[in-house]
Amino acid sequence: MRSLDHLFETSSRSLARRTSRRSLIATLGQLLTGAALLPLLPVDRAWAGDAKPRVDDPNSCEYWRYCAIDGFLCSCCGGTSTSCPPGTSPSPITWIGTCHNPGDGRDYIVSYNDCCGKTSCGNCKCNRNEREKPTYRPSRNNDLNWCMANSDANYHCSVSVILGVAEKK
Amino acid sequence: MRSAPLLCVAMLGVALSVRALAASVASPLPAEHLSVERLPAKTPHWIYVFDNAFSNEIDSRVHLFDGDTYRRLGQIDAGFNGSVTESPDGATTVIATTYFSRGSRGARTDVVEFTDNATLATTHEIVLPPKRAMTVPNIFNVAYSADGHFVYVAYITPAASFGVLDPAHGTVLGEIDTAGCALVIPSGPNRVSSLCESGRLLTVTLDAAGHEASRALSEPFFDADADPVFVQGIPTAAGFAFLSFLGEVHEVDFTGAQPAFAPAWSLVAPAEKGKWRPGAMQVGAIHRGLKRLYVPMHVGGEGTHKDGGTEIWVFDLVTHRRLARWPMHIDGASPVLAVQVSQDAAPLLFAATDSSDVAVLDALTGHVKHIEKHLGQTPWLMLNP
Repeated sequence: MRSLDHLFETSSRSLARRTSRRSLIATLGQLLTGAALLPLLPVDRAWAGDAKPRVDDPNSCEYWRYCAIDGFLCSCCGGTSTSCPPGTSPSPITWIGTCHNPGDGRDYIVSYNDCCGKTSCGNCKCNRNEREKPTYRPSRNNDLNWCMANSDANYHCSVSVILGVAEKK
Repeated sequence: MRSAPLLCVAMLGVALSVRALAASVASPLPAEHLSVERLPAKTPHWIYVFDNAFSNEIDSRVHLFDGDTYRRLGQIDAGFNGSVTESPDGATTVIATTYFSRGSRGARTDVVEFTDNATLATTHEIVLPPKRAMTVPNIFNVAYSADGHFVYVAYITPAASFGVLDPAHGTVLGEIDTAGCALVIPSGPNRVSSLCESGRLLTVTLDAAGHEASRALSEPFFDADADPVFVQGIPTAAGFAFLSFLGEVHEVDFTGAQPAFAPAWSLVAPAEKGKWRPGAMQVGAIHRGLKRLYVPMHVGGEGTHKDGGTEIWVFDLVTHRRLARWPMHIDGASPVLAVQVSQDAAPLLFAATDSSDVAVLDALTGHVKHIEKHLGQTPWLMLNP
């Protein structure tokens, strides 16, 4: 547990270093507004077809906020980019990525939670590893099964939740 | 002339009648007896191919494949997100894995299972605390001590530690904390090293009971921010080689009480650096007798460290010279995600691809002898005990 505390302390401090409070609140506000509007938006379902990959398509591996997902996209498994499919449980522990949004030119800190309790979704496999690090840096590693601490530890799919704007160093 | 076709038809009819008559008087097929196949004598060209079964991870498995006959000889089941190792004498396959009580859900049981390589029957198991590192296969997830007396299992909860097991008596001897460092790199009869976020190696020395006797941190030998090393170490004659994302080779001698680091050298020329780079799930193989290193290489930028190699590059470990580049697409293979080489005098190189095939190459010439299609779903690690 000491290490777990240390991990979260490190992640939190790192996040605090990279984000301003104002930007985080603004981002959370945008996220909530966006989440409310999400079901109303038209969604291109032909992600695996011949259609050109779109950086703003939550069903495409090229979606900008999926920059460090190695797994199955929950948006193709009954969930969305920020919600788990019905009957699964989100992982309380996660790995973190920093992704560039070409829509507004900002870099965002993203939490990649796994959705757990059912076997692999098997749909929309996505393998992107921007700034991903090996197992010895677990907070940045996408090879670990982040359902490891859930009561049902089976891995189903992954989501991508914006935590805040990453400040430029 | 008109009668010629009729004659042909008549002759054909006679021929068919004679054949049918012969068949009716031949002996019937004998009754058969159901049996269980026994493995043939082991050869240096057998390979254990770990299939992570990524699209249905509760069903990972190990395929035993013969690189000479191209036959699949058998299978060892590996549960959910399993890991595999071989005993030092090659007689036993060890799987560290997890099962759920209701198949895909329910109570979790972490376990280490022992399979007799002569029969492929599972002989016994050791139940673990529910802490096993659930991650992609790697030779440092579960490992034997050099003398076979201990088995080490990496734990990540995500707090990092490792378990020490007594395989002979089927018991867990204890757990050792490795905060900030992960995985189990075995050396000698009683040492375990872990890779640290700080770029160091933590080495824990055990006493005869498998408990911690001492620990020491090395100096940093890589920079996890600027150029991290892959966790997939490659066995060398004196320890392991670790490749970095940008193609540096860190050879570590584990024969002494503490690891010793040779000067790093590069797989890529200055003009190639940042363009060509290693990438795979099992990112290299070494023929220890020939002192040759085989690495899947591709052209790519940051974040492509899990992209497969479009070429396999061959290096001399003594001179650090590149001996060959073997483009894989010429022979119809897709990018290579795992490599392994047999250790005999007529070595085979095995290359598992991102389309689930395993190519069998002459490791001296690069000649592709065979491509075994769909050897599992996601063959990401191969062992050649």
